[in-house]
Amino acid sequence: MANAHNDFFVGYIRGVPRGSRGLITFVTLAFVVLMAGAGYFISATQPDPGPGRFFFQYKSFTGILETSPYPLIRVAPDDTFPNGHTLLLAGQGKRGVQNKAASLAGQIVDVGGVLLKRGDIDMLQVGGKVPLRASVDGLSDIVRDSIDLSVTDLGVWRLTGEICDGKCYTGAMRPGTGIAHKACANLCLNGGIPAVFVSTAPVEGSEFFLLADLEGNPIDGALQRFVAARIQVDGQIERRGDLLVFKVDLETVEVL
Amino acid sequence: MSVKYTPVQWNPNKYVYDLVALAGIVLYIVLFLKFAPSEIERAQQVNYPILRMRAFGTCAFILLSVILCIGPLARLDPRFLPLLYNRRHLGVLTFAVALTHASYVIDWYFVFSPTDRYVALLSSNVDYSQFLGFPFEAFGIFSLFVLLVLAVTSHDFWLKFFTPPFWKALHMMIYAGYASLVAHVLFGYLQGATDPIFPVLVAVFSITLLLLHLAAGRKETTFDRDTNANADGNWINIALLDDIEDEHGLVVPLPGGERIAIFRYDGKLSATSNACAHQNGPLGEGRIIDGCITCPWHGFQYRPEDGRAPAPFTEKIATYRLQLQDGQILVDPTPNPPGTHVDPVLIGETH
Repeated sequence: MANAHNDFFVGYIRGVPRGSRGLITFVTLAFVVLMAGAGYFISATQPDPGPGRFFFQYKSFTGILETSPYPLIRVAPDDTFPNGHTLLLAGQGKRGVQNKAASLAGQIVDVGGVLLKRGDIDMLQVGGKVPLRASVDGLSDIVRDSIDLSVTDLGVWRLTGEICDGKCYTGAMRPGTGIAHKACANLCLNGGIPAVFVSTAPVEGSEFFLLADLEGNPIDGALQRFVAARIQVDGQIERRGDLLVFKVDLETVEVL
Repeated sequence: MSVKYTPVQWNPNKYVYDLVALAGIVLYIVLFLKFAPSEIERAQQVNYPILRMRAFGTCAFILLSVILCIGPLARLDPRFLPLLYNRRHLGVLTFAVALTHASYVIDWYFVFSPTDRYVALLSSNVDYSQFLGFPFEAFGIFSLFVLLVLAVTSHDFWLKFFTPPFWKALHMMIYAGYASLVAHVLFGYLQGATDPIFPVLVAVFSITLLLLHLAAGRKETTFDRDTNANADGNWINIALLDDIEDEHGLVVPLPGGERIAIFRYDGKLSATSNACAHQNGPLGEGRIIDGCITCPWHGFQYRPEDGRAPAPFTEKIATYRLQLQDGQILVDPTPNPPGTHVDPVLIGETH
């Protein structure tokens, strides 16, 4: 019986019929080659996630805390930042430090943690042995006066770019941008992580802006719907120390 | 087919099939995760958890695309039928790969937050009013749900439990699942993709699948249109005896659209429904083996004279009455209840 049906496949009786053997062998090899080739080349050609990353050496800083639109600290010149610096602050995971910062606004504080860096934007993930607290030792008058607390209005700008959560963008996730990351970014922003705007072209040498609404408040849900999309938006830019803040006008947002 | 109940009736073909499928998956994942990234010089690499979710996500897409190619290929060329035989195992493997992808996504993007990860998944990207930025996660969840339902109900126990028509209809959900998966990829990963390979693969697979299904559908409709059945009272002149090889079947459409299968064997002719009671496989494309009609898809068997599976099996299909006049085969288009005995037409006596 089997000999009469050598060209007919019945899986529980016999192997692949002679007439199909060449084709099935070819298809099998093609499948394995497809999987191997696709696995390698899809992986090898993934877009560059950018240079952001954690620097896991623990650091502590003393400086002046501001809480609007998001918690940040103006750090006096020191070994890490010889010209002083403005550090964005975030908590562990997808949490901001608004609750801890609220009662310390405008004060000299100590804060420790690990740095996230990408380009000229730095964020401190607060934690460890030096929690966000009123400074124990304070700052000398000379050091305090060296902190640049000036606010300079740079006028109204129309920028093209993407709204991101500042923590993932600076390297907590690589990549921390794009539509595929949008839900994660929204979750971070809802948790209090500072929002940043990443422009396609620099303003005053910077492509990164701390984001606020026109009144200087944190962005709300109405603006969050544009997170991760490529948008064009008008707003006022102001310089605070070495940090640029982009106060955007929600009415002008245009998805590109 | 076997008497004793066993969850999976393994045989050498299934072992080889599954080993090839596993080899393909393991090669894909290992090359994706271990070898390719180290070849690239970058300031920073993609996060390993994101690399993992991409590896398993893209792998699931390719596997499901391959699975959906098998059906139309087997319709267009029966030499592909051995690929159809164990396709369900490939489907279950695909679900496992897709579930791994989803697990990595949830355990990376939706953790580290005060919000429960599953609540976060369903609540952190929900603005369905926009095109760009559409919550593509919903498409992925739907696709995974379809794969889950199909994987869980893939066993023949559920086929019997639900009945073949319902089971078949249920498993046609795979097309909705695949369409949703394409949308998941288009509205998600591909929105930010600057790499050429995966977008090209998505386009090639989508277009290939569409063309293969159109070609297979065209073949089916052409087949139905080209067959002319001439009615003579209750009897329809439907085929020539010489059209049927010995131990073979012939699929013939009736005027109402129903297809029957006529078999020539041991100097006799019998006719049954063309649809196998297992998964609607085309019985007329099968053979007579050990005196039984044998389905080309999974080898289910029926006696040609009464449409009943040999004991101890209980499946049965409709039978039809035949006549043979001067080499012309005539059929009474009224189906007998499944399992009804009909005396075969003896070829030697009438031809």
